[in-house]
Amino acid sequence: MMKRDLILQKLRKLLPEGAVSEDEGYESGVAFSARVPVARIVEIASACDHAGAYLESMTGLDFEDTAEIVYHFHTYEPKSRFSLRVLFPHEEKIPTLSGIFSSAVWLEREVREFFGYVFADHPDPRNLLLPEDADFHPLRKTFGKIAAYRKREEIYA
Amino acid sequence: MPKPITPPAVDRVYTLNLGPQHPSTHGVLRVLLDLDGEFIVKADPVLGYGHRGHEKMGENRTYKQFMPNTSRMDYLSGLLYNHGFALAVEKFAGIEVPLRAKYIRTICAELNRISSHLLWFGTYVMDLGGFTPFLYAFDDRENILDILDRVSGSRLTYSYCRFGGVCRDVDDTFLEMTRAFIGRLRSRFPDYHNLVTKNIIFIHRTRNVGVIHPEQARQFGVTGPNLRACGIPFDMRKVEPYEIYDQFDFEIPVGTNGDALDRYNVRLEEMEQSCRIIEQALDRMPKGGPYLNKSVSFRLAPPKGELYFAFESARGLTAYYLVSDGSPYPYRCHIRVPSFSNLHVLTDVFCGTMVADAISILGSIDVVIPEIDR
Amino acid sequence: MGSLVTSEWFRLVLGLVIVLAFSQLNALFLVWLERKVAGHIQLRIGPKEVGPFGLLQTIVDGLKLVGKELITPRSADSRLFPIAPVLVFMPVLVGFLVLPFAPNLIIRDMNVGVLLIFAFSAFTVLAILAGGWASNNKYALLGAIRSVAQNVAYEIPLLLAVLSVVLMVNSFQFSEIVKGQERVWFFLIQPVAALIYLICATAETNRAPFDIPEAESELVAGFHTEFSGMRFGLFFLAEYTNMFIVSAVATSLFFGGWHGPFGLDLGVPGIVWFLAKTYVLIFVIMWVRWTFPRLRFDQLMNLSWKFMIPLSLANLVVTAIVLKLV
Repeated sequence: MMKRDLILQKLRKLLPEGAVSEDEGYESGVAFSARVPVARIVEIASACDHAGAYLESMTGLDFEDTAEIVYHFHTYEPKSRFSLRVLFPHEEKIPTLSGIFSSAVWLEREVREFFGYVFADHPDPRNLLLPEDADFHPLRKTFGKIAAYRKREEIYA
Repeated sequence: MPKPITPPAVDRVYTLNLGPQHPSTHGVLRVLLDLDGEFIVKADPVLGYGHRGHEKMGENRTYKQFMPNTSRMDYLSGLLYNHGFALAVEKFAGIEVPLRAKYIRTICAELNRISSHLLWFGTYVMDLGGFTPFLYAFDDRENILDILDRVSGSRLTYSYCRFGGVCRDVDDTFLEMTRAFIGRLRSRFPDYHNLVTKNIIFIHRTRNVGVIHPEQARQFGVTGPNLRACGIPFDMRKVEPYEIYDQFDFEIPVGTNGDALDRYNVRLEEMEQSCRIIEQALDRMPKGGPYLNKSVSFRLAPPKGELYFAFESARGLTAYYLVSDGSPYPYRCHIRVPSFSNLHVLTDVFCGTMVADAISILGSIDVVIPEIDR
Repeated sequence: MGSLVTSEWFRLVLGLVIVLAFSQLNALFLVWLERKVAGHIQLRIGPKEVGPFGLLQTIVDGLKLVGKELITPRSADSRLFPIAPVLVFMPVLVGFLVLPFAPNLIIRDMNVGVLLIFAFSAFTVLAILAGGWASNNKYALLGAIRSVAQNVAYEIPLLLAVLSVVLMVNSFQFSEIVKGQERVWFFLIQPVAALIYLICATAETNRAPFDIPEAESELVAGFHTEFSGMRFGLFFLAEYTNMFIVSAVATSLFFGGWHGPFGLDLGVPGIVWFLAKTYVLIFVIMWVRWTFPRLRFDQLMNLSWKFMIPLSLANLVVTAIVLKLV
């Protein structure tokens, strides 16, 4: 059995009904995507860690009504990328994954400086790519020139 | 491998500022090294000297306008980035690509991969103090640049791919030049092996140096040749075949120890495998037909939703994460770059090595800093 | 008047003038040669614009260096910093005093000539340490430290190798050693010593693959990172002159000095034989530089302490025993 399916089973068990949505055709580049409550992201991510997935990418999204972080994982097997999505209010602090995946240290530093989403108990909260004294968050839709600032349901129906 | 015998007293540690202007940092990397004598206690890379805000730019440009940006992230494999972006948007917006264009793009992308590996080969041996292979490699690379220059009009930042094909058709001279180059490169490999691979000093400088364990690679998200050197055959061209890679017969070279020598061998073997792909593509390429789907609108707007598209650049798994709100401008345009993770693992690998080894390891990892800075 | 020309003092002053002129011209020529050799090894052609075959290129480069500002970093040791380049060049010049170019072309044929050369070449280390320390720069200091450790390590096998030759002729005098090779060059009798000498000499002159004190990919420029203009130029000239000295010493100790092969002179003057052999050796050193990558510091130390020193000691013992028996 592929690691991907093991993880899918596990997530189905851990998360409430309807939180996991599968993408059979791999159309959006992930096999399945799971909506995780902020408080449980550490628990879910460490389940993925135990199953042998690696944290491939992590990025923020900024909507008018909510903030979101998307974690992409992969298990080195064909077509086995999956994503975890966390929705939270802009000001809320998010638990850090740096205790589970070493790569999260830098990825979270990047998300923090570009979006201003603060990670609680992050071991190294300095800026990574921006100047060390930069107090702005360039990828927020409130910064600089933007095409549109939308609510989440306008994109994800 | 030498390791410090006892943990050093704090007052013995001093900081060496390696970079941002240093001969071996390949771009503008600055590493703050805490040293005990010549042994590294702690390494702290300082990034961002080449930050241009490509992701923000992506949100303010139409998809087509963003194409030139893509080749400016990893400038050594710009065409691969173009290719990946074209594939991502084509998949997102459902654009048909003519078969001839697919072959042209594959050939050019693999040529670009070889050119990137050749440059790495040269600079890596130069980091180890061998100057001559550098110029040999550049001599070969020059041929690739000439070939790509003929078709794309550019030698470094190509922007050759378009959504639905390529911007210019190739002619018979291109095919001849490519064939001649493959023959030439094959005849040069024995020289490279005699000069570098079999060199006793080179082997001593690379074997068991900078070992990345598979578990460490997973923790840090290392991909590309660096991961394959640990023995994990993870290559997007095989694992999630895109374009027409599933039609070619090629292998994924892997190493065993994950040391610098394995990374070197994997990259050299990858050049050979790229040659095989190019040869097969040249043989099977349709003789005529369209090279570009001209029905693509300038202000194309993919449907609402998101797409994560991963492909294999010369340095590892690269991905575009696009979120569309149905307008011609992407709502979010994130780029997952391989060097980001590949450099991050060094903070772990550097500890306990000597300064000279650190240079060897940094070179063997093959990072392009502007790609990380974006 | 006649007494002046034949006097020892006149000989010495004239010799010094010739040595100064020769060492400078030789260094300029060697820099040009190095660039040409490197160029042809690397499928390039090297300098060719200034003068015939680019011969004047290094002179022009030297003029440029002379015209550059001599920058002294603010935190550098203001007394030691300017002295270091002079210190590094001085002992190199002394070497020329005892080199046996031809039977009658030795400025001072001292009976401790061999000792004098090695004593003074050891002095170079002090100058490099002074330069690296005075720069007050971590790269320079690291380079200087490496240089001291390396030179100490390689001087021992170097001298042991030379000692095997000295044992054979029972003399430290260069002219005696060369005379002893009229029939057979010593490298045929002492191949191990000759090989050890060549390797150690490359290390002594900080040439690749032993150029770790100035490893440009690691330490930027090592001990001369902070030196600009002609101060850097002096370090540079010293390196090339040093290369000539060690090759000339190798020629006299192992390759027959001014003698032709197997006692055949072929009517060629001794000095031509001597210079030809020296330049061939220099070419070999350059060839090695443009072929090999650089060793790591601890590997370099291991090579000397664990391999070269025992080997040269064994070679010396065997030489002594054989000489006693014969």
